[in-house]
Amino acid sequence: MEAILNRYRNLTVLLAVVAVQLGLLGYQVKGNGEVRLIRVWAVGAVTPLARVIEAGQSNIAGFFRDYFLLIGVRRENQRLKDDLDRVRMENQELRTELSTADRARALAIFQERSPSKTIAARVIGNTTGVSAKVVIIDRGTSSGVRKGMAVITPNGIVGKVTGAFPTASYVLLVTDPSFAAGVLSQQNRVHGTLKGQGNGTLIVDYVQNEQKVNAGEWFFTAGDDRIFPKGLPVGRVTLVRQGATRKELFVAPSGLGDGLEEVLVVVEGVHAEIPEIATAEQPVQLQEPPPAAPEIAPLRDGSPATDADRLVDRYRRIGEIEKHEYGGHGGRAPNFNVTVEPRAADAQPSPPAPGTKQAPEKQAAPEKQ
Amino acid sequence: MPYSDLKHALPPEAEKRISRDDARFALGRIAAFQYIALGVFLFLLAGFWVLQVRDAEENSQLAERNRIKTVPVLAPRGKLLDRDGRVIVDNEAAITLMLTRETLNPDHLDAIARGVHMDPEDLRARLKRFQSRPKYVPMVVKQDLAQDEIAFVESHRDANTFPEMELVRNQRRLYPRNGLGAHVIGYVGEVSEQELDSSDFAKYVQGDIVGKAGLERQYNDMLMGVDGQRRVVVDSGGREREVLESKEATPGNSLQLTLDLDLQVVAELALEGKKGAVVVLDPRSGEVLAMVSRPAYDPNAFATRVTPEYWRQLTSGGDNPLLNRAIQAQFAPGSTFKPIVALAGLETGIIGDHDAVSCPGGANFFGRYFHCWQKHGHGTVDLHRGIVQSCDVYFYTLGNKLGIDNIAAYAEMAGLGKRTGIDLPNEAEGLMPSTKWKLRTQRQKWYAGETISVAIGQGAVTATPLQLASAIGGIVSGGVWHRPRLVKATSTVEPRRMELKPESVASIVSGMYGVVNEGGTAAASRIEGVEFSGKTGSAQQISNELRKSGKLDANESKDNGWFVGFAPRQNPEIVVVALLEGGEHGSLAAPVARDIVKSYFDKKLRLTQRGIRPSPFALLKPPALP
Amino acid sequence: MSDLGGGFREEFSQVQVKDKAPRFRIAALAGIALAAILFQVYVPRFIGQLSYLELPLLVTVYFSLMRSSPVAGLLYGACVGLAQDSLADNPLGMFGIVKTLVGYFAATASQRFNIENPGIRLVLSFFFFFFHQFFYWVLERALLGQSLDFELQRTLVIAVLNALVALPLFHILDKLKVG
Repeated sequence: MEAILNRYRNLTVLLAVVAVQLGLLGYQVKGNGEVRLIRVWAVGAVTPLARVIEAGQSNIAGFFRDYFLLIGVRRENQRLKDDLDRVRMENQELRTELSTADRARALAIFQERSPSKTIAARVIGNTTGVSAKVVIIDRGTSSGVRKGMAVITPNGIVGKVTGAFPTASYVLLVTDPSFAAGVLSQQNRVHGTLKGQGNGTLIVDYVQNEQKVNAGEWFFTAGDDRIFPKGLPVGRVTLVRQGATRKELFVAPSGLGDGLEEVLVVVEGVHAEIPEIATAEQPVQLQEPPPAAPEIAPLRDGSPATDADRLVDRYRRIGEIEKHEYGGHGGRAPNFNVTVEPRAADAQPSPPAPGTKQAPEKQAAPEKQ
Repeated sequence: MPYSDLKHALPPEAEKRISRDDARFALGRIAAFQYIALGVFLFLLAGFWVLQVRDAEENSQLAERNRIKTVPVLAPRGKLLDRDGRVIVDNEAAITLMLTRETLNPDHLDAIARGVHMDPEDLRARLKRFQSRPKYVPMVVKQDLAQDEIAFVESHRDANTFPEMELVRNQRRLYPRNGLGAHVIGYVGEVSEQELDSSDFAKYVQGDIVGKAGLERQYNDMLMGVDGQRRVVVDSGGREREVLESKEATPGNSLQLTLDLDLQVVAELALEGKKGAVVVLDPRSGEVLAMVSRPAYDPNAFATRVTPEYWRQLTSGGDNPLLNRAIQAQFAPGSTFKPIVALAGLETGIIGDHDAVSCPGGANFFGRYFHCWQKHGHGTVDLHRGIVQSCDVYFYTLGNKLGIDNIAAYAEMAGLGKRTGIDLPNEAEGLMPSTKWKLRTQRQKWYAGETISVAIGQGAVTATPLQLASAIGGIVSGGVWHRPRLVKATSTVEPRRMELKPESVASIVSGMYGVVNEGGTAAASRIEGVEFSGKTGSAQQISNELRKSGKLDANESKDNGWFVGFAPRQNPEIVVVALLEGGEHGSLAAPVARDIVKSYFDKKLRLTQRGIRPSPFALLKPPALP
Repeated sequence: MSDLGGGFREEFSQVQVKDKAPRFRIAALAGIALAAILFQVYVPRFIGQLSYLELPLLVTVYFSLMRSSPVAGLLYGACVGLAQDSLADNPLGMFGIVKTLVGYFAATASQRFNIENPGIRLVLSFFFFFFHQFFYWVLERALLGQSLDFELQRTLVIAVLNALVALPLFHILDKLKVG
């Protein structure tokens, strides 16, 4: 046996290592518990280093980083016969350094003015993996960060904390397909639910076709999702169109600028009013809305009603016109054929309204006008 | 491999080549063996994985249970339309929260319940009730979520938080406001455990939304559609990747009712703020044109789940808004019973049209003095005057001559004392006493003195508004009683017919015409140009229902006001019964009927002027799914 | 490698030699792996395009090729993979298993090929990157039940890019070789 093991030592070790890892995977997948400890250690071990890298402008760590970066980039550039990336990277570095001071000041001012209690954090990395919409920040449970907290910048919301370790946390970005938040439009106070798409844009769902939202309008957090306090900017509408069942709204997130660096974690949210005029104006490329679906007539008083409700309304008006108290003693029977301006339509039996509930609304609309 | 081939193909010498080939051969075989072993091992491992991890249904979190998910497609209920096709009960789009119970983490329940404003204990109890269903069937947590609840659910259903939450689009019931038609329509709700045990609901399962009262219950099988379902593949992030199977929901059938919304609305408005009931029938077909009971409840509050506060509000206090007074309130009919006694007198030949009675304001029967409502007396009264002035002494005398069993025979012929058979659940029977009845229930002999009260609609006799409408409608139509019904049907039940002498019918109709048009008890409710006839009534009685409850206040000991009216005089098209509880006198109930009758004829005029005939048999298609 | 026993013995002795290798090398092994992982965590923040680089993989391939010991290769791959996993938001072991296999096969391959040849390095880097991505996808599908699509074209392009980066990278790493 030993001889065989020796002979196929390589294979045995390979299988053993793979088996152990499969076991580990199976344990994680089968049980609900994540292997927190290892992850906490790993993140904890990397975080200080990443922080050093982040902070270090001229120390060894900085050199360490630059060396690999520059060499790697130069090699790549040689192969690609293009110097552009290096220049851009240097440019980016310089700009980052320049604006860091400004941004830090802006952040401090915002943090002071914001009614919510926040703590500042730095983005120290992406999680590894190609399509990750998760970033790592350098604050964790030891600073009071908990799973489920909101992460914002003065420009807008960034995401929410999905995992908190002692010195670092995962932040799920607004652009992730599993992200959602309750939002409110600035002008017409239309409620909706913001959802990530996995790409750069967001959508706002659960908005009725009848509700009015303009392209270019700002959305703010509605404060009803139990994550974000009310009144934080979310983004601007880039495209509005009528959908089959609900309005289709696309929003460009305002919180994810280029090079997301400093963020605020909302430790204690306080709802704020939505400002009348958005402060963080940013130029937004507005797409032309497609010529698609025609406008659907708005609801009379916003709430749905049946034909019965409309008829009650009509007979009440007849009562008013005829000065008649229904079922009242005395007086005479009213003339039910009196002209009720200008809602003569009711007298005619309307055909059954098939299909959607919009149909009776459409009938109702001309009566009111 | 090509490189190693090149490398090894180079040696020129044959000997070496042979030895090398041997070695290479051996090495290659070993390598092949290694890879085969590795492959077999991986295969076994994969099999082990599939068996132990992926298919271990109750535990696997990221694997199978998230791989294929069954999402129900909820079918909308059919709509309720009035006789002209106008929508009375509609549906509106709503969002329902469901829990996929396979992936449910019990620790999440509290937070989920709080997020959608529910009592966590409620949710737990629900979950327990649901245990009888297969685990892959998701459980409805809450219907018709508000915007903030949707935002909560959407933002917490990621893989890291509460992935067991699932949002489903459906249609919720939209009832008219202010409880219009509430008692006729009824309401829907989640099927209860008691209902599941009963044979009517045996085919439904926990979590189904079924009709609980009124037409919603009566025609539940028709109105309910068949839910579809979608089997979808989702990844561990909860995103749908593929639709394996999609079975569309079949929407329920719409029902066309016999109700005329115009009359219903006028009746509702006429009873607003009052306590009572209205029934409007077409005596030619038995179709119910309007049926109102007040106070009412808001069926919209039941459409999702009724709150405990609202339920308490409905059930406490003596008003009992859940009672459909039109078919469940059993009151003494009072003077509205007199036409039936008159019919018995005429048909049996015990009295003639011109036989007169002297009314001094009361009379002695069997040693007891019975008052007429008119203390000063009516003087000489014949049948016509007896009905017009509602003279009690005339009917005491007539009743005494007839005897209880004659009265009972004709009252039962007209439909009192038994259910009319209307297509609504829980109709009350009312009561028509007779000697047999008394012997059966009280094992006592009937005393002739008791007949005197019954002759004016008091005593033990009780009727529901619907019974009264049907009874009087049948008599004034010449002895044809159609079974009342609320849903337009192509086939009708054969009506009950009795051979009545046309003269007796004409005498009674003439008397009732006089009540309204010849200065009778309802003279104030005359309608210009309409031969509106009727009979008032007031009865010093409380419903058996309320008597049992024992909760009475001053208002309830007041007389009930009745009015039963019809029009036109010949071949009546419409019969109206109005009941005002605590309404003191029938003359106060008469204007309610007057308004309804007026609106009926105004509508008729409107339609003839326009040359439009209502199309009562308009074929209905079930509404398309949006 | 003239006979079977010799091959194994040779390999065995090779491992013994490696064990006696200067500690500096082990430090370099660890340091470079860490650097590669940190690079992947940190650098794409500045230059998004660089997120396509799989430096941990390239490093694994390089050291496995150099040591040409399957055991050492697979252990190194496992360590790098698990370290990567612990920083990622996926279950531990996904990268681990894939990199274990890459390490093993790279080391096995090194016994057959002239690994100093840039052409061979290019082809091997390309091949192992592709293998890595493909096997990772297989694991995601089979073990995690994520029915993602395998983007063949994209993976091929990124594999070429990585292979191109691998050449200069391996050249640099060659310079770190001691003895």
